[in-house]
Amino acid sequence: MPEMPEDNIIVAPALSTAQDEQEVFMRFSEKRHDRPHLNQDGVHTDEDLFRAISDYYSIPELAQYLSSRGSGGELTFQSITLQFPDHLIQDSAIVSKELQSLLSHNTGSQVELHTETSPKEKEPCGGDSGCKKCADCEHGSDIEDFGAKRQKLWILADTSYSTCCVDEIAAEHVNSDVVVHFGDSCLTPVDKLKTVYVFGKAFLDHDQVISRFKETYPDTDSKVVLMSDTTYSHHLEQLHEALLSEYPRLAYAAVPQYQGKGAIIPTPEWREGGLSIANRLLQGIPKDDFNFLDEEDYSQVTLDYQLFHIGEPQTPRLLLLSTLFSSIVLYDVAKHTTSNGPYPSLQRRYRSMHVARTAGTVGILVNTLSLENTKTVLNTVVKWIRNAGKKHYMFVVGKPNVAKLSNFEAVDVWCVLGCSQSGTIVDNSGEYYKPIITPYELKLALAPEVTWTGKWVTDFKSVLDLDEDEDMNDTQESPDPYKDESAPEFDPVTGKYISSHAPLRQLQHLQIEIGDDEPQAGQLVKKLSSAVAIKGTVSTSAIQLQSREWTGLGSDYQNEDQDFDEEGAVAVEGRNGIARGYSTGGQRY
Amino acid sequence: MDKVTNVRNMSVIAHVDHGKSTLTDSLVQRAGIISAAKAGEARFTDTRKDEQERGITIKSTAISLFSELGEEDIKEISQKTEGNKFLINLIDSPGHVDFSSEVTAALRVTDGALVVVDCVEGVCVQTETVLRQSLGERIKPVVIINKVDRALLELQVSKEDLYQSFARTVESVNVIISTYVDKSIGDVQVYPERGTVAFGSGLHGWAFTIRQFAIRYSKKFGVDRAKMMERLWGDSFFNPKTKKWTKNAKDADGKPLERAFNMFVLDPIFRLFAAIMNFKKEEIPVLLEKLEINLKSEERELEGKALLKVVMRKFLPAADALLEMIIIHLPSPVTAQYYRAETLYEGPSDDASCIAIRDCDPKADLMLYVSKMVPTSDKGRFYAFGRVFAGTVRSGQKVRIQGPNYVPGKKEDLFVKAIQRTVLMMGRFVEAIDDCPAGNIVGLVGIDQFLLKSGTLTTNEASHNMKVMKFSVSPVVQVAVEVKNGNDLPKLVEGLKRLSKSDPCCITSMSESGEHIVACTGELHLEICLSDLENDHAGVPLRISPPVVAYRETVEAQSSMTALSKSPNKHNRIYVSAQPIDDETANAIESGKISPREDFKTRARLMADEYGWDVTDARKIWCFGPDGTGANLVVDQTKAVQYLLEIKDSVNSGFQWASKEGPLLGEAMRSVRINILDVTMHADAIHRGAGQIMPTMRRATYAAMLLAEPRIQEPVFLVEVQCPENAIGGIYSVLNKKRGQVISEEQRPGTPLFTVKAYLPVNESFGFTGLLRQATGGQAFPQMVFDHWATMNGNPLDNTSKPGQIVAETRKRHGMKEDVPGYEEYYDKL
Repeated sequence: MPEMPEDNIIVAPALSTAQDEQEVFMRFSEKRHDRPHLNQDGVHTDEDLFRAISDYYSIPELAQYLSSRGSGGELTFQSITLQFPDHLIQDSAIVSKELQSLLSHNTGSQVELHTETSPKEKEPCGGDSGCKKCADCEHGSDIEDFGAKRQKLWILADTSYSTCCVDEIAAEHVNSDVVVHFGDSCLTPVDKLKTVYVFGKAFLDHDQVISRFKETYPDTDSKVVLMSDTTYSHHLEQLHEALLSEYPRLAYAAVPQYQGKGAIIPTPEWREGGLSIANRLLQGIPKDDFNFLDEEDYSQVTLDYQLFHIGEPQTPRLLLLSTLFSSIVLYDVAKHTTSNGPYPSLQRRYRSMHVARTAGTVGILVNTLSLENTKTVLNTVVKWIRNAGKKHYMFVVGKPNVAKLSNFEAVDVWCVLGCSQSGTIVDNSGEYYKPIITPYELKLALAPEVTWTGKWVTDFKSVLDLDEDEDMNDTQESPDPYKDESAPEFDPVTGKYISSHAPLRQLQHLQIEIGDDEPQAGQLVKKLSSAVAIKGTVSTSAIQLQSREWTGLGSDYQNEDQDFDEEGAVAVEGRNGIARGYSTGGQRY
Repeated sequence: MDKVTNVRNMSVIAHVDHGKSTLTDSLVQRAGIISAAKAGEARFTDTRKDEQERGITIKSTAISLFSELGEEDIKEISQKTEGNKFLINLIDSPGHVDFSSEVTAALRVTDGALVVVDCVEGVCVQTETVLRQSLGERIKPVVIINKVDRALLELQVSKEDLYQSFARTVESVNVIISTYVDKSIGDVQVYPERGTVAFGSGLHGWAFTIRQFAIRYSKKFGVDRAKMMERLWGDSFFNPKTKKWTKNAKDADGKPLERAFNMFVLDPIFRLFAAIMNFKKEEIPVLLEKLEINLKSEERELEGKALLKVVMRKFLPAADALLEMIIIHLPSPVTAQYYRAETLYEGPSDDASCIAIRDCDPKADLMLYVSKMVPTSDKGRFYAFGRVFAGTVRSGQKVRIQGPNYVPGKKEDLFVKAIQRTVLMMGRFVEAIDDCPAGNIVGLVGIDQFLLKSGTLTTNEASHNMKVMKFSVSPVVQVAVEVKNGNDLPKLVEGLKRLSKSDPCCITSMSESGEHIVACTGELHLEICLSDLENDHAGVPLRISPPVVAYRETVEAQSSMTALSKSPNKHNRIYVSAQPIDDETANAIESGKISPREDFKTRARLMADEYGWDVTDARKIWCFGPDGTGANLVVDQTKAVQYLLEIKDSVNSGFQWASKEGPLLGEAMRSVRINILDVTMHADAIHRGAGQIMPTMRRATYAAMLLAEPRIQEPVFLVEVQCPENAIGGIYSVLNKKRGQVISEEQRPGTPLFTVKAYLPVNESFGFTGLLRQATGGQAFPQMVFDHWATMNGNPLDNTSKPGQIVAETRKRHGMKEDVPGYEEYYDKL
């Protein structure tokens, strides 16, 4: 194409002032990684590091587990995925290398390593590792050996939802048999896959903890529970022992046996009894604390206890813990300090619950795909919303953020289905445009009468139990004789009457109206712009769109009284291409 | 009732304790509802227990009275009438400033007002407020100067002093009227000589107008009545020697003459008082005979005050004077709606509904305004109380119920329902009726579920709403309530709903941190609302926080630099600056003079002409906020940004969000104007969607505010205290302690009473009444009414200043981070 003189190029009008900004990717010049989770005092050489990491992740034990064989002598796990959270990805290369060598030693077969990061970008290996086989995923599964002797390793990074959960989808991309999950975990059971959890044995300075603990609780008679992130959980028993002599009423929270398919490495000790609470087993609570309680109310025992938590849990978990214990003190591992608040408040969620009562449209935000019962809960939630006459839309947006969620203006309240440890969004500073609630809170909100239990239930199972209870009680409800179906609902948040709280109830009424409109002769297109009922359901987003001031090009001139050319301009070729770079008249922008 | 020309809808309004309810009793007694002996004490219209106990009116109460007028009197009526039977719908309203919203609701459904003024205290702050309100609604006032007995018995004033005091009161009423009068309603000043001012005593049940005396004397002197009325007021004197009327206060010999009013009107009253109170037994029968008063035998036995009461009641029955004044001088609905229609209706003045209102047409489509909800004996159910402005309302009729957010053509806030029953409200009782034509006040059963506080009922699909009432008071005092027992929570929520239904002004809401908030106009209002909530509406024990004040966030200067915020994807930028809006404009927005619902061209004209706005700026106002109505504006000042309007909706939502919770303490913003200076947008529509623009606009607004000397505003009460001279020192010392600012101190002429007016921050007003009472030995009783928002001196970002402390406290209460984030938090570098 011959060069055209510059003034001849017809350029579409710029929609905005020029995008003069150059995006610069972050560059790393430093090769060495900071690994705060290891006790780096003794680590100087690469060998030290290898040893430290191998020890931290209990790699020999892991390799042992992974090289188990089935009854037919074939390897149980042929395709193994290793899932690392973002802050541990730096260790992935070393871990995989160690595993590789151990596994091939154990099984006598060849072990291949692949990396897979979802969704699209490949994670380059850490520069300081000896990894050589940074191969593409595509040719991972080509060699069919007899008896399936091969084992393949895959590294998963950039988890789609919450890092504490198992990224089942990414694992399924490579038909994985087992996922090894590294780092802190919520231990929520996974639907299909076998899972191996490796928390890592994080270093903890016991003396510091004990002295802080003593400062925090001068009264040695205090009822305290020791708890930690899973990475520190192996210290708790020792700490408990060390402190028990002074604090007779001290209890601690141990990691329970894994309930789903798979294992925890190193395997936690089997413990008899203990109160199961928030994914932990409480050990050392004296029997007489339960004396005056029914079995169902056992969990209330903890309300008398204070919590000393090592490490800072994710906000949703913190909120959950704050509803279970009378007070919480957080111990900062890096700084050796304690803090007590401010914590997320349940009272705010009470407000969100009220917003949900009068909301017309509920956005169901699916923030997990792997958790057990996700589908059942999803269907149950949809059923609830329908029965309440509200409209729902379903969303999967990857990692949710403020911008993504506020794109959907029609949604009045979000209901998030996600892992209780970090997949639930707890908006503590009013950052999100619309409140976000959990299925349990939605259930409370949809009840005909206001209820608030002061509990915060996040796991799906209890929510489903709730639903079953309800089904049994259904028959007893008698409708309020005064209650008019279409009557507006009082909204205690704004103190006003809201008439749009149940848009689906208007459906009948709308259908009649639409039926009245006889299609007129000569009418080519069915007029849809004013209809809000589409395909037998009310579209609240259509209602929202109709209330917008901007109705398309040209509508911005309606209010101006200056003359504008009714004819418009001649259509010319504008930009084309994709958002990353447009071209106009052959020129790239 | 069907003869609308013979209906008078009127409210009784006044300052607290000037005797409205007592006076109303004498009217009720005439209708035979309570016995004459009880009148003046029963306070028939105070239906609630706490009203009776406290001796103040809290809720306005309606009653209907029938009255007949003589042939002679009918002739005096200058408007159209049929026959001589009249129906008077009377609403007794509370006088305490905290309840002025009740007055507003009462005024909306009436056409005339009986303004009661205490003869001793004169025109007080609430007299002025209610008068101003009634004139704003185009309601014609007549005045009664009440408690004349007090002047006679307690103060022992002379006739001339009394006249002067009357004249001054009438004068000050007229000053207020002329300040606030609306031209289209005509001359509504009050004139004793035309019979629009009455004098009397509600407690003793007597009252008179000059007209009544003129009737007596016109026969005697053989003069025309109208002429006689003029002679009996003002500088008009009668020379008994020459039997001539004159305008000079002295006769030919230079001897002072007695004023005609004193001589012919006051003299008989004074003499009666003197004779009876001084127990001059022989004089009394003579006087009685002269005045043609016949007593029953047992009444003759009475003495002193009791006798005085009986005599005066026979001599000058209050009901006669008042009914006559009301019927002759107050407009009928037909007369009144003619000039009120345009101020009542939101839509264009030439549409069918507006014309029907103007003509008060009972055959047109229904137009009914529900002004308040009245609790029924059935718990949780309410009568919708309102006025039929056009058409006829029937039991069983299907009507469109349009709430305050209804927009013609849309479905929001609209219900089509049948009215179950129509009733007449009679104080404590109701009476079912079949239908009710235009011009009447009515109660409706069966629509209370669809309206919270007020709304419009119509049968015409094209009808707009009737205008929403604007209250002169603002709910600025708030408390958080919670249940003591968690299981009672549903009852609390239901109770809050009932509370906000039953009170026109009380607002219940929930704070960001999830507390139930009840907001009221003052401490007394709060006390009543909370006790209603606890004992009646919710019926469960409550825990109540100490009262707190609602603050506002504002700016004091132009942003020191342009605030820039980038969207989360970094592809869109919004450049804005903040600047303060002047008080006048802000007040005009709040009072509805500048309204977001108005056409933008007319609004821009008004803002340019009266508020000094640049007309291009005024035309480019994008939105009001928060809630689309508040006194904060977004103005588009961009030049040549293409397709800017595409993001207008997102920008506006972002601004609503930001202005509802400001950056300082999470309270609403006020008086902040945000100018959009420039916008850069991504070329692709999906990258400039609501999700990108909305949070960005919010951040930009915050940054601009923090760059423009942010301040907080606090509500300020106007305090009026009446007290004797020796208590003034005490008042000053209390005011000083409480950051009060005295604005005036006046002695009320002819009395030892002083009136002190001052501004007092609402925050300091808690417990003020008690302190004042202590400091003045119980002689001073303040009236406090919300007056304005005042910007607090001192930088709220500085923790040591007073506003800084308030910010810190409020942030803590709202569960926010302790320190206000710097503008850098919201500002993005280019």
